Amino acid sequence: MRFMILAIRNLGRQKRRSFLLGGAIAFGILIVTFVNGFAGGVAGNLEQNFSQLLGGEIFIQGVEKKPSGQRVQVITDEAALSAAIADSRIPVKSVTRSSAFLGTFFFHNNSTVQEVVGVDFDVAAPLRDRLTLVEGSFDGMRNPEGIIIGQQTAQRLKARPGDLVLVQLRTITGQMNVAEFLVAGVSHDPGLSVSFAAYANRAYVNALENLPPEAYQQLGILLSNPETTNAAAAELSRALSRRVVLLPALPKAAGENPIGSMLRQHSENPMGAMVADLMRLASEGSYTGTRYRLSTIDDILGRLQLPQIIAAINGVAFVVLLILFLIIVVGVINTFRIVLNERTREIGTMRALGMQRGRVRSLFLLEALFLFVGGAVVGLIGATLVMALASLASFAPTTPAFLMLRNGHASFMVSPGQIALPIVAVGLLTMLGAWLPARRAARLKPVEALTAVH
Amino acid sequence: MISFFRRHFPPRPRFLNPIVFLLILAAPVLRADTDQPDVAALLGQLDTLTNFQGDFTAEYTEVTQHPGQQPSVYRHDVYRRDRIGAMTIVMRYPDSQKGQGYLEVDNNFWFYDQNSRLFSHASLKENWQNTDAMNSDFFRTNWARDYGAVSWSEGTLGVYPVLILDLKGTNDQVTFPFKKVWIRKDIGILLKAEDYSFSKLLMRTVYYPQYVKIEDHYVADRMLIIDNLNVGAKTEMTLANISLATLPDYTFTKAFLQQVNR
Repeated sequence: MRFMILAIRNLGRQKRRSFLLGGAIAFGILIVTFVNGFAGGVAGNLEQNFSQLLGGEIFIQGVEKKPSGQRVQVITDEAALSAAIADSRIPVKSVTRSSAFLGTFFFHNNSTVQEVVGVDFDVAAPLRDRLTLVEGSFDGMRNPEGIIIGQQTAQRLKARPGDLVLVQLRTITGQMNVAEFLVAGVSHDPGLSVSFAAYANRAYVNALENLPPEAYQQLGILLSNPETTNAAAAELSRALSRRVVLLPALPKAAGENPIGSMLRQHSENPMGAMVADLMRLASEGSYTGTRYRLSTIDDILGRLQLPQIIAAINGVAFVVLLILFLIIVVGVINTFRIVLNERTREIGTMRALGMQRGRVRSLFLLEALFLFVGGAVVGLIGATLVMALASLASFAPTTPAFLMLRNGHASFMVSPGQIALPIVAVGLLTMLGAWLPARRAARLKPVEALTAVH
Repeated sequence: MISFFRRHFPPRPRFLNPIVFLLILAAPVLRADTDQPDVAALLGQLDTLTNFQGDFTAEYTEVTQHPGQQPSVYRHDVYRRDRIGAMTIVMRYPDSQKGQGYLEVDNNFWFYDQNSRLFSHASLKENWQNTDAMNSDFFRTNWARDYGAVSWSEGTLGVYPVLILDLKGTNDQVTFPFKKVWIRKDIGILLKAEDYSFSKLLMRTVYYPQYVKIEDHYVADRMLIIDNLNVGAKTEMTLANISLATLPDYTFTKAFLQQVNR
């Protein structure tokens, strides 16, 4: 115990030096924990926000191949899908049936391209919850031709609620069509470079796409327990396989620079790429009838290469950690070499009084251990405080990174492993840095140490 | 004397002779029966006049003007072998797109990107580059197969007597489900076409003011495409260096596109 008190006292003898070195350790722990927590929070928030935007964690799409060989994206066999969902007993929070097309909007001399998603507004409560209107109201959607457009789209068109916009689209067989939509409302764009989608009534969208009134192109399932998405998807896949023909799962996107991919794809609705891929897949083989594909939010985020983006953030954190490691090791070695020089005569005295070499080495290492423990504790407390403070800041839905936030606030998620790993590494490096001066101190001969002049 | 006759023999109500009445009623029908154009034959003739048994090559130039934008120019070569439904397009201008190409073969339309050296699926129903033309505007026509007349009338367009046909697509694969065409009565070439959407809204108007006769065929070597949705947007398309010389089979292969600009 006295030995430990001695180590602590020694640290206190050079308060400024100990404070700086411990501070460096604390800062390293703080930064790495913060970045890891940020990356984890971003990953979780992206998944949750995209689930909300797309109307589900699990998606079922269908492609019907007609005898002519023509393929159209449509689901008409509601009974089979409903029965499969019931069989699977997955925890369903809500189900959204939607049809969609990519349209070119015209208003006066302005035009822009925008995905239009047709949903049943009277039952699509989650959609109403996640769309924040800056102008207009959902009441306008009682008009069959009503449409909710995003802020960016509204700005590009210079359109406001009450305006009639012209939209050029294609039917499911690729025929040209043009329709008028009445702008019912303008919604916040959740941090995207373009509006994510415009929302219209499914019956009207179906009519424009030449789809049967009750048909739809995608079934989105929002789970009451999103953590179980993969397990629920596997269950549903098994249940579906017993009733319909399932196509293979969505392939992973080819390797690409994730940041470049993010910049390129951030403005795209990932569903467009999914549909293109589905149509390509459905063109293979000779069959008639409908084939289905089940995909999850993870597949879509994978398509957007978001896991790679998260990995890139973690990579940055790792590089920062390495640099901090280097600084800490050099700092510890230098500090303890200075300590060794300063205390040479003191070490000589202690050795002359009978202290063994091992005790001298242990004293140095114990000082380093206390330095590390203090730095780590302060670093963790600091990280917790910084994360708590950062999560208090509120960001507007127009913030470019809104999709990475939770309800406009940054959130942090860090696993015990992500906390433990850098702490253990910093601890080992601190001890390693202190080891060499400690060994030198232990090897000092008492006579030489006592006569040393500094 | 006259008053005597009027008093004792009042005039009978004046009814038309029933035969004359029926003839008058039937006049439009009779006229239709006698003058009704054979629309299928007309559309077939349109195909015959503009499609080729042999090969076709031309250099196309499009100048597109969109409101608030600088005019953009595209130049490309088109190679066609209509009898097998093959077409190859090689971009020449702008330089940024030089070397890109398209290939229609076996009912598949491919886009070739010079930079990635990859082929990807494209559609004839898409717009050509950033113009008001469609990819299908360069391809052989199938008027007789794809359209039937809903109604017809006669008129004049400029100085030419024309037949005006309201057409409806015979299948759901045609890009424009409804069309209205002005066909010159004397030689059966297309002078104007209006393209309508599925909801029967006018989307674009195409004028064919100038033709060049090659052998027994007519090739519109100047076209003006008006975008009726995007007011003020238009594309003028001109053809040069038209040739019917036989092309090597190799022209209609992916390998040709890969090597043509190396």
